Amino acid sequence: MSTLHVLSHSPFSDSRLSSCLRLLTPGDGLLLCGDAVYALQGGTAQRAALELMPETIVLLALAEDLHARGLVQLPERLQLLDYPGFVASSIAFDKVNTWL
Amino acid sequence: MSQSLLIVTRQAPWSGPGAREALDIALAGGAFDLPLGLLFLDDGVFQLAPEQQPASLALKDLQANLQALPMFGVEALYVSARSLNERGLSDGALQLPVEVLDDVGLSALFERYDQVITL
Amino acid sequence: MKFAIALFSPPHAPSSRRALRFAEAVLAGGHEIVRLFLYQDAVQHASAALVLPQDETDGARQWQTFISDNQLDAVVCIAAALRRGVLNDEEAARYDKPATVQSQAWTLSGLGQLHEANQLADRLICFGGP
Repeated sequence: MSTLHVLSHSPFSDSRLSSCLRLLTPGDGLLLCGDAVYALQGGTAQRAALELMPETIVLLALAEDLHARGLVQLPERLQLLDYPGFVASSIAFDKVNTWL
Repeated sequence: MSQSLLIVTRQAPWSGPGAREALDIALAGGAFDLPLGLLFLDDGVFQLAPEQQPASLALKDLQANLQALPMFGVEALYVSARSLNERGLSDGALQLPVEVLDDVGLSALFERYDQVITL
Repeated sequence: MKFAIALFSPPHAPSSRRALRFAEAVLAGGHEIVRLFLYQDAVQHASAALVLPQDETDGARQWQTFISDNQLDAVVCIAAALRRGVLNDEEAARYDKPATVQSQAWTLSGLGQLHEANQLADRLICFGGP
């Protein structure tokens, strides 16, 4: 059963991203929204960690949060989502785990 | 057939209502005989630490709720080995009988449940 | 697909707006929301006492409109609500307090309603934090 993990906390002040990365299974998805999109900031250990994830992990981000924060130069593997895409992703994976 | 729910509790016991509110979800589900698991992860492992005295903070003891879990049919209890080690807790001195899982075991645990709530 | 949507953050949190946008997209996509459930600080969405400046988004009111426009089943956890001062008329009378729940949009009930929604739904989605 695949899991879509959803993160919204900044990875610089919080351990949710690092805890989540250790639990990922091939076929899982990682959806960054809210302040969690800061993990995509270039030149950071967090960005490097995301790029090191196996290709079997799907990396997603909510487009509105990237735009709001001026994040550009994103990883090629990153899929940008609008809300219909968010809904579709929640269906594509067997369950959704939001790190509240 | 009922859908199974894994509850992941990550909050330390005395930092607000988070730990107790996670337990309440588990106890409510147990009361309805639902297939549940409870995983103590990150600071949540501190809920299991020995020798706690919450009365010093004028707080209700969480231990009573924790001890009630098996009575409510919630016996699938798990704890992250890494979270324990990072926090200097020994798996031999915990408040509840829990299965200690390494990261591989935790990944497998998530796979087994139909739904998850991580708070 | 049937969705159960649980909200854990208050109306001013970005995750509240995100949850509303998601819920709108669920219905727009032809899916069903079996129940909305408020827990922890999200119970504030059910308060009738929130006052926001004119130039700010009133998330609680937007949720209320969404719920009534779509006739959704919207539940507030009673234990979480009481300790945060969100009561309906019945609870206010019981405890001799002022009532502050938008009783028409939201119903005060127990965690059993969350579990029931999970059993009915194909997907449980939680929103909380920032």
